[in-house]
Amino acid sequence: MPVVDVDPDELRELAGYEAKSDAELREDLFALGLEFEGETDDGAFQFEFAPDRLDRLSVEGIARSLRYQYGDARGVYVPSTNDAEWTVEVRDVPDERPYVTAAVVRGVDMTEGKLESLIQLQEKLHATMGRKRAKGAIGVHDLAMLKGRSADEEKDGSKVISYTGIDPDGDRFVPLDADADMTPAEVLTDHPTGDTYADLVADYDSYPAIYDEIGLFSFPPVINGKRTEVDEGSRDLLIEMTGTDQWTVDKMLTIVCYALDARGGRIEEVTVDYPDRELVRPALDTRTKTVTHDRIETTLGIDVSGEDVVDLFERSGLDASETDRDGETAYEVTIPPYRVDVLHPMDLVDDVGRAYGFNELEPRYPDVSTVGSRHDRSKLERSVRNALVGLGFEDLLNFHMISEEENYERMCVTQDTDVLGGGASVAVEGPYSEAYTMLRTWALPSLTMVLENNTHRRYPQDIAEVGFAAERDPDAASGVAERRTVAAALARTDASYEDAKARLQRLASAFGADLSTPPTEHPSFIDGRAAEIRLDGEPAGIIGELHPAVLVEHDLELPVAAFEFDLAALA
Amino acid sequence: MKLPDTQVALLEAASATDSKTVAQLADDTGENPEALAGAAFDLEERGLVAVEERTEERLALTDEGSRYREAGLPEVRLYCAAVAAGATDDPVNMGRVIGDADLEGPTVDIALTNFAQKGLGDIEDGALSADPDVDPESDAHAAALAAIADGEEVSDDAVVDRLAERGLVDRSERVERAVTLTDDGVTALMEGVEPAETVGQLTPDLLTSGEWKDVEFAEYNVEADADPASGGRTHILRQTAESVKDTLVGMGFSEMEGPHADADFWINDALFMPQDHPARTHWDRFTLDTEPMDDLPTELVDRVEDAHRNGVGENGEGYHSPWSEEFAREVALRGHTTSLSMRYLSGEAVGELEPPQRWFSVEKVYRNDTLDPTHLLEFFQIEGWVMAEDLSVRDLMGTFEEFYSQFGITDIEFKPHYNPYTEPSFELFGTHPETGEIVEIGNSGIFREEVLRPLGVGCDVMAWGLALERLLMLMYGFEDIRDVHGTLCDLDLLRNVEVLA
Repeated sequence: MPVVDVDPDELRELAGYEAKSDAELREDLFALGLEFEGETDDGAFQFEFAPDRLDRLSVEGIARSLRYQYGDARGVYVPSTNDAEWTVEVRDVPDERPYVTAAVVRGVDMTEGKLESLIQLQEKLHATMGRKRAKGAIGVHDLAMLKGRSADEEKDGSKVISYTGIDPDGDRFVPLDADADMTPAEVLTDHPTGDTYADLVADYDSYPAIYDEIGLFSFPPVINGKRTEVDEGSRDLLIEMTGTDQWTVDKMLTIVCYALDARGGRIEEVTVDYPDRELVRPALDTRTKTVTHDRIETTLGIDVSGEDVVDLFERSGLDASETDRDGETAYEVTIPPYRVDVLHPMDLVDDVGRAYGFNELEPRYPDVSTVGSRHDRSKLERSVRNALVGLGFEDLLNFHMISEEENYERMCVTQDTDVLGGGASVAVEGPYSEAYTMLRTWALPSLTMVLENNTHRRYPQDIAEVGFAAERDPDAASGVAERRTVAAALARTDASYEDAKARLQRLASAFGADLSTPPTEHPSFIDGRAAEIRLDGEPAGIIGELHPAVLVEHDLELPVAAFEFDLAALA
Repeated sequence: MKLPDTQVALLEAASATDSKTVAQLADDTGENPEALAGAAFDLEERGLVAVEERTEERLALTDEGSRYREAGLPEVRLYCAAVAAGATDDPVNMGRVIGDADLEGPTVDIALTNFAQKGLGDIEDGALSADPDVDPESDAHAAALAAIADGEEVSDDAVVDRLAERGLVDRSERVERAVTLTDDGVTALMEGVEPAETVGQLTPDLLTSGEWKDVEFAEYNVEADADPASGGRTHILRQTAESVKDTLVGMGFSEMEGPHADADFWINDALFMPQDHPARTHWDRFTLDTEPMDDLPTELVDRVEDAHRNGVGENGEGYHSPWSEEFAREVALRGHTTSLSMRYLSGEAVGELEPPQRWFSVEKVYRNDTLDPTHLLEFFQIEGWVMAEDLSVRDLMGTFEEFYSQFGITDIEFKPHYNPYTEPSFELFGTHPETGEIVEIGNSGIFREEVLRPLGVGCDVMAWGLALERLLMLMYGFEDIRDVHGTLCDLDLLRNVEVLA
């Protein structure tokens, strides 16, 4: 979940509550769903929150939410905008990254605090909506350093920059945090930021590039040029975003514009000139959705007046007017453009609930009658587990994932052979840990590992597990044959085949299964002391004394008798 | 009269005129003193002997006391060395005398302190003079040490007190029991007593022959620890799972089951998780090296895709994220058992379900993450949902309060939360029964219409999820979950952990 650093003094100032104590602020923010995580070295508060309200990724956005919560702000606010002077011309862009959006913000008077907040907002938007810059990447530039091309002699004062695609070594510019000029391809190999984001453009034939009259000044989504770098003292900004989806970059831009508006910036539109259409950005249009009064009352379980509902909407930063829908009372709700989380009227019901206070609601046990039950396999598992415990086995619970070495090699079993455990593996792609690379095909390797890890503990160690095992099966819908298996091991100085067999007999008879154990061979067991387990005539598993090679491999210095069979054979 | 061996021996050794201590009787009979004391009490109960108790102070040398008894008291050694060096006439350098007396370490201080205190001489300016009138052979402390070592009485209590203060003598109290024959005892002896047979093990023979009536059973030391017994236990995490299952069945929930390896469609797409959601990236999920799942219900796939792209309902909006059926068909280990809920709600698992319904599962889920004391790659998720017409947030709260109260967790707080698949959504917080700390105990909400309508569900469904391990750690106070779950488990912990009813 996103974490945002907030300077508490800035927050007090922006929210207009200079006198709020730190503790009060934290409490008020918890009510908004922002959880206090700690303080940074600089004394900034760190808040964690769920990634729905991305408009709260900055101190400006959090302050706005607080003003609604305190009742100082009501209803929808949309900043006013000035008409466009600048145009982004979109021509011959890389197919993979066709979309761009932009805005100009004037009179920001950048200070250290504002700059830090803007950089943080940019980073957090990249991490969330921007999907690590893959879906949307933000570039902020000092407008004073840009020289627009005049496209149209008649249209006085028009200024044009262009978003286009160039060869990886097609041009040179000085990127941020560098002293020499580089080609985009060189940035990817020689610049630390380039190295981080190289994967994003790895498959691109041409690289995204933004030009003004002077030349190349940005290589999105990787890095901006040094020429247009924003610092303290910058006044007017150009904000551009490129990405794989127009809506996404437009919404990211909206959130940035709202934050800069809260800092006194004046937003000025930019024309985005695609070959086949022209857009005017930022898109600050509101949307409307209709919610019925009944849905609000039903979902929250409360009786509430229409007046109160409108009030609750306004306190959530929404506008609402009562209306009639098919004879039912409903509300037409206006939603500000920064609310990227609202997809459905139910999202507005949630806003009403939050404004009302969910913890104000009285819990009630639903008056709905149903009859409960366990499913059959779960009941059988429990019975077999209880029977094993009754026979003196310690019930174990091991991971379903294991390494190939543990599952096969250390048990002396070869993959893809026709013995229990020899089934083909289902492997995990890109495993995090070498110890867990596949699903276990049987459970005895896990039990043997438990014995290996407990040689310092008292013997006898009689252990058992009723658990999951799986192997590759092209005929199964998922390609995986899943089964439940019953495995048991007796580790003691005098453990013998007979000890294991005695317990297996008892188990089989407890479940009314007819047991026979014809001799067989299995590489994990001593020849002549291994048998196939047949239950009601069907092959179900293996029983025997573990082979000394397996024991020594697991540092065991005493004999182990063991068995494993399919749980389903006892059903 | 037939009596046990020890009692017979005691009666025979005791006298009606001389009271004999248990120690004396032990010398006389060769029996061990504890057994004799026990026998004396038994005989007293029968009225055959009288037992008199008196408390005796016992003195014994400490280790230090024993050393001084052997080597001489340090101050006496110092005096003798001083005399030898001529200190009876003129003061002698102290260091030299200490060296001559072969004193070192803390003994030096002990020697000097006592030398002065006993008036054996004077110490001034680092020089030592010895009193010529002292007889080192008749030092009262040395004599007392020798007497105590030989078990003789020391009449001067002041000397003993001083030796005890110096830590050379230990005082202990001992109860001495003295036994005298009573008249009945004398009579019994005259009539004749003989030892009853004692047996170790009760045998079938003894029982069938009736001999058991005439035997005495040898006494055991019933207080000693026995060898540990072996026995099995149900794994505590399984026990916790069972108790959760029992609780939910009691609350009217039925158990779901379904595949661990499943199509991403069931794990994520049906849940209205956008395909570019961070949780669906390579690093969080366990994709398997198997073929894509062909066997998906076509119409349902179309409806789910439509919900992702266009939303649900007249005011609905979709995601601005890519969606491909190819991705939906990929097979992975489930990251939550909500995949089961999707299969049940869609009618794929057990056919169309009519409200009301309550379903649950307590099954393994998989997360590709680092292993640490509180996070495992595999853990159990408690998943539950209720389907009914017109469910409210209050119904959801009431259900969870009821469930958690079964495990001693009350005062649940509901923090509004965000999940892609529920709205409203809540994180559940509860108070740790032991530490009083507020901890997150679950995630819940009412399924979105974008989830339910494509599945063909027309009414409301509320759902929640919780890690079983979290409940276990709360209940048992474990700090490292790896001690319990997996092949690194500690058998002793599993054998000995206290059972919570």
